[in-house]
Amino acid sequence: MTVVSTDRERGLALCVGDDGRRASVETALVQPVQPGDVLLVHAGTAIASGAAA
Amino acid sequence: MRFVDEFRDAELGRALAAEILSLVEPGRHYKVMEVCGGHTHSIYKYGVDDLLPANVELVHGPGCPVCVIPMGRVDDGIALAHEEGVIFTCFGDMMRVPGSRGSLLEAKAEGADIRMVYSPLDALRIAKQNPDREVVFFAIGFETTAPSTALTLKRARMEHVSNFSCMCSHVTIVPPLRALLESPDLRLDGFIGPGHVSTIVGARPFEFIPADYDKPVVISGFEPLDILQGVQMILRQLAEGRCEVENQYKRVVPYEGNLRALEVMAEVFELRPHFEWRGLGFISHSGLRISEAYAELDSERRFTVPGVRVADPKACQCGEVLKGVIKPWECKVFGTACTPERPIGTCMVSSEGACAAYYNYGRFAREREVV
Repeated sequence: MTVVSTDRERGLALCVGDDGRRASVETALVQPVQPGDVLLVHAGTAIASGAAA
Repeated sequence: MRFVDEFRDAELGRALAAEILSLVEPGRHYKVMEVCGGHTHSIYKYGVDDLLPANVELVHGPGCPVCVIPMGRVDDGIALAHEEGVIFTCFGDMMRVPGSRGSLLEAKAEGADIRMVYSPLDALRIAKQNPDREVVFFAIGFETTAPSTALTLKRARMEHVSNFSCMCSHVTIVPPLRALLESPDLRLDGFIGPGHVSTIVGARPFEFIPADYDKPVVISGFEPLDILQGVQMILRQLAEGRCEVENQYKRVVPYEGNLRALEVMAEVFELRPHFEWRGLGFISHSGLRISEAYAELDSERRFTVPGVRVADPKACQCGEVLKGVIKPWECKVFGTACTPERPIGTCMVSSEGACAAYYNYGRFAREREVV
């Protein structure tokens, strides 16, 4: 999913999937993230980031 | 699409298939286990096995998180769902897994308040929206999913959500692999290592496989070219007489894993002495439970859980499928009594289950042409 915006205080990011679906994603495991980053999301949590890969 | 299109290139796929063909010894039969259900799904969705020589056989492993949940654990979940005032939440796949007296979906139809969620965070949100109800999250999955549950439990504590708890059925991948390697039923030449589990645990936990059992492991991604390259790397190790852990999925998997995830898991979970796996029986130190430090968020301490043990249906051969001993179509009930619409075994329920993958992509052929 691609990060649209971040909520650093709550450790969440609004992300959009390839199908256009939007979801709140827990980002504690891949901090820092910023809009445009591509995240590998599993069960609502980002477990890897494309920027880091 | 970035990170996807470049791994579905047909020309590159044909080139990899040709390289694989050049690496195999005629007359030798190679058995390579793909550990993860996600690999099984991709292999049959994209027809990866059709690109392999006839003497390279892909064998399905125990890495489908839904498939390994035993019937008794489903019965325990249904018992919790019937508790007064409880909202029971779980992933969609779990809803259809048969217990001894039906599935969670059937329990919902009978009146239990069971809701499908996409993530544990959704379950926590339901708890915040329903402060007068107890919300239980049925947590399943390997190390890929466990950090998500752990972070949600930390968040529940931080936000003082006292009506939320978790029935933890998370499992770990290394103990069943060791059990498989000790099994006399199965002769394997190498492993396609689990890509997303390795994102969390890294490559190091798999080093025992080449060290103790002389089998190569290649951690691979899930696109068709990832899997083909994984097979090619295993065959190259065998051809060169090498035996080690290699990482094909470097764009996602760091060798040391995700240290933050490992830390949060170590804080929130502890290993159970034993955990029952469907078809595989009890395996030592293979399941996670909520640690003493987070005891107040453990459904199994908050409620009375029956702890049911139920034998698998005699007709179902999920155990043999999960161990790679038989192919899905060799099961007595595959595609007849057991279908995705009316599954008997878990392997037919989840999209990552080997039986569902075979069934959904029409892979019934028992013979293949030599490439």
